[in-house]
Amino acid sequence: MDITVIAETTGDGLHPVTAQLVGAASSIGGTSTVLCPGGVGAAEAASIAGVTKVISVKGDCFGSFDGGAWAEALNSVASGDVIMAAASPSGREIAATMAAMRGIPIVQDATALRPGISVTRPIYSGKAIETLTISTPCAITLRANAFDAAGGGGNADVSTVNRSADVAVAVREAIAKASERLDVAEADIIISGGRGMGDPANFSHLNEVADIIGAAVGASRAAVDTWDEIPHSMQVGQTGKTVTPRLYIAVGISGAIQHLAGMRTSKYIVAINKDPDAPIFGVADYGIVATWEEALPALKAELEKL
Amino acid sequence: MGIAVLMKQVPDTTAKITVSGGRVDESAVSKWSISPYDEYALESALQIKEAGGVDLIAVTCGPARAAKMLTDAAAVGADALVHVLVEDLSALDSTQVQAILAAAVKHTGADVVFCGKQAADTNAGSTGPGVAHLLGASCVTMVSEIAVDGDSFTAMRATADGNERIAVSSPCVFAFDKGTTELRRPNVRGIMMAKKKVIETMSPADLGVDMGGSSVSIDGHSPPPEKPPGQKFEGAESVATVVGKLRDEANVI
Amino acid sequence: MAYEALDFYDVDSLLTDEERMIRDAVRDWVEENVIPNIEKACRDEVFPDQWRVDLGEMGVLGAPLKGYGCPGLSYMAYGLICQELERGDSGVRSFASVQGSLAMYPIWDFGSEEQKNHYLPKMHAGEWIGCFGLTEPDYGSNPGDMITRAEDKGDHYLLNGAKMWITNGTIADLAIVWAKLDGVIRGFIVEKDDSGFTAPEMTGKHSLKASVTSELVFQDCRIPKDRILPGVEGLKGPFSCLNNARYGISWGAVGAAQSCFSSAKEYALSRIQFDHPIASFQLVQNKLAWMLREITKGQLLAYHLGKKKDDGTWTSEQISLAKMNNVDMALEIARMARDIHGANGILDEYPIMRHMANLESVKTYEGTHDIHNLILGHHITGIQAFRREL
Repeated sequence: MDITVIAETTGDGLHPVTAQLVGAASSIGGTSTVLCPGGVGAAEAASIAGVTKVISVKGDCFGSFDGGAWAEALNSVASGDVIMAAASPSGREIAATMAAMRGIPIVQDATALRPGISVTRPIYSGKAIETLTISTPCAITLRANAFDAAGGGGNADVSTVNRSADVAVAVREAIAKASERLDVAEADIIISGGRGMGDPANFSHLNEVADIIGAAVGASRAAVDTWDEIPHSMQVGQTGKTVTPRLYIAVGISGAIQHLAGMRTSKYIVAINKDPDAPIFGVADYGIVATWEEALPALKAELEKL
Repeated sequence: MGIAVLMKQVPDTTAKITVSGGRVDESAVSKWSISPYDEYALESALQIKEAGGVDLIAVTCGPARAAKMLTDAAAVGADALVHVLVEDLSALDSTQVQAILAAAVKHTGADVVFCGKQAADTNAGSTGPGVAHLLGASCVTMVSEIAVDGDSFTAMRATADGNERIAVSSPCVFAFDKGTTELRRPNVRGIMMAKKKVIETMSPADLGVDMGGSSVSIDGHSPPPEKPPGQKFEGAESVATVVGKLRDEANVI
Repeated sequence: MAYEALDFYDVDSLLTDEERMIRDAVRDWVEENVIPNIEKACRDEVFPDQWRVDLGEMGVLGAPLKGYGCPGLSYMAYGLICQELERGDSGVRSFASVQGSLAMYPIWDFGSEEQKNHYLPKMHAGEWIGCFGLTEPDYGSNPGDMITRAEDKGDHYLLNGAKMWITNGTIADLAIVWAKLDGVIRGFIVEKDDSGFTAPEMTGKHSLKASVTSELVFQDCRIPKDRILPGVEGLKGPFSCLNNARYGISWGAVGAAQSCFSSAKEYALSRIQFDHPIASFQLVQNKLAWMLREITKGQLLAYHLGKKKDDGTWTSEQISLAKMNNVDMALEIARMARDIHGANGILDEYPIMRHMANLESVKTYEGTHDIHNLILGHHITGIQAFRREL
């Protein structure tokens, strides 16, 4: 079965998910032809094990992102039974457009694949898991970090083609991510400090971690009540805001019931507290018994590596 | 200008999802709502409508219960309501859903389509781009803001590093991400007028869509895997281990 | 944890789509605007002006009135609006009750065409606030013996006297004032800038802190002749208004009770003591079951009364029963909920004691609990027991 893999890029090179796509393709008995939009990462793609061919697709339309134009250009050289892409925003759009162009069905955000093709994917924002069977030809996008990456040592043929499709979406201006802090009620990741931080000035360490992973910074009621510098708008817990992030990091927070009520529905909870008996460890998925002075610098370093 | 707003009725995001007999139990869903990203699409269309000259048609493809969602859209200002009756959406594959919606949009005569970037139940994101292709329209996804600019549009869309302001003309499909304004609340006058608004109901066949068979069959649903029990680690040295688990075990970073 | 209103006997299924939509719109507004801000409003003892604007925009003020810009909703819908507002805070519902049932309604039912056209549209929009001046410092349960009087001076009326415990008074643009003209109770529209009229705020309240409570003071207050309400004489006037407000309160109390029940249930499931959630203890379950029982009964009472209000088959005694019963059960539920919350229940982290303190006022105003008892006693026996000859 020949699988057309749309390479996912980051900056000037391949995003690690591309090797995962190839690995997934191999796992269901497919051989991969990798299409590189704008030619980015072509040499790297050729060295992935399981890749039989790389097509570097160049053209003016790849100067900025236009899903329709990219899909048209890529579609003209795509020939696999399966079109496979990463379930990133651009990957989803390109794959869905190509699927419509080819009149084939698409399934998005797969977390497991089996021959058939049998697909597992989360639905209802992860509240349930769906298993389905899709006939070929079809298009599938895969979730990042859900599949094992193929190894290196490949030596595929790289050919270059020139395909320029009409660009309909013109980019006028690029605007860097705003540096203003996210609101706790809306953030996907929250790092919160409690009275265990010792001094409101120490929240700067939480801000540093938040900046690395794009998190909001929250506070327990105890911190808000004790320190004027910590405003009520940061409070998480009963009358503060109820939060449902996918990751909640509680630092120096004991886990009193009022605070728990506010964050209990977080998907994953990490607790950092020097007291091994702190009630927060009862709800934490990952608890670290350590002082924040030691744990936060380590956390910052680890997150920077990602 | 005609703007067709594609809306999907989904279980409210606060509703509990239960699996029974290997399938998600729809009868146990306590509350049905308009899919959240579709709300941003609807609100954006309503804001453009405020400047005048816009006919806003709310369109849905779904079972009978979805009619209520269209009435809710009328209560905040939708001018016309189109319901393509399909009892079981899960039995259709993406090509079929897109064919129906594209045909419905053609039926409204609208050149511009607003929709959510993905529905809260299927979490796919195929509809916007697929419908755009079938209509021969451009497509912009991840839109957070939009403005009319003469005969075209400018919009803000998300990128890996932040945002981009783009320009595009109709015909175009815009798939919305979270925006700056939440969907407006209906007021009493809106609710009372919505009562009188007729929903144009039709079948896929009425739109000339030949359904055929689906290429996707659902084998089953299951609840999410149990999270492993909480793990406790000693000392700051364990931070590296925990971060690794957050990435590989929990998939949250 | 999203709010789920207790509805054990599925009263929801008895409502029309329109009624549900209106209820949901108000519920969402309360969730987004009142709940996050009410504790601060209480601590600061202010009624946020934005809420007046929002309620006006939503179109819920004077909801059941027909014409003059008003929507003519069913009384069922009005009840649901009150239920949702009071789930947030009794003070918010008091604002709407006074505006709609006590200030707009008398103009609508007893006013001249000119008065209706002049006042009602702006009051519905929330632009002009009204209040209702019946109660006096020495005349509460016995309004019939009021001493505030109006004198016909040819080209104007002169008002003298004082009213007390008047919701919205200090922020009101107009007051519906009941005063004796030649010994007969008549209604007068007093505007805030009329000479000789002041409306000082009453402070130091432990209840309805996010609501404005005032005195209305008339010292040779001159009002133009066209300010008298021509359509009614005697206590029938104010009592018609009170009937509508009391009806709304019977629903409002259910909302407050549902809020307390919801919080108590959540708390009992989360609070661990002796290694188990307190929801697993029999005494706690007994209390929660009692709350469920009383809320369910109260809901059905309010619902059926709503139907009768809309059919026109209601009696004022039926309204007395519902107001009295539902407020009484809501207050008991608030107390019981405080008990379940333990010490945490005294903090404004939880809505419990705010509802509890508010309901003390709600039990007293619009006819005290005991006055309603006597209304029912009179109905049963035919013998009035309000007034004795000594």
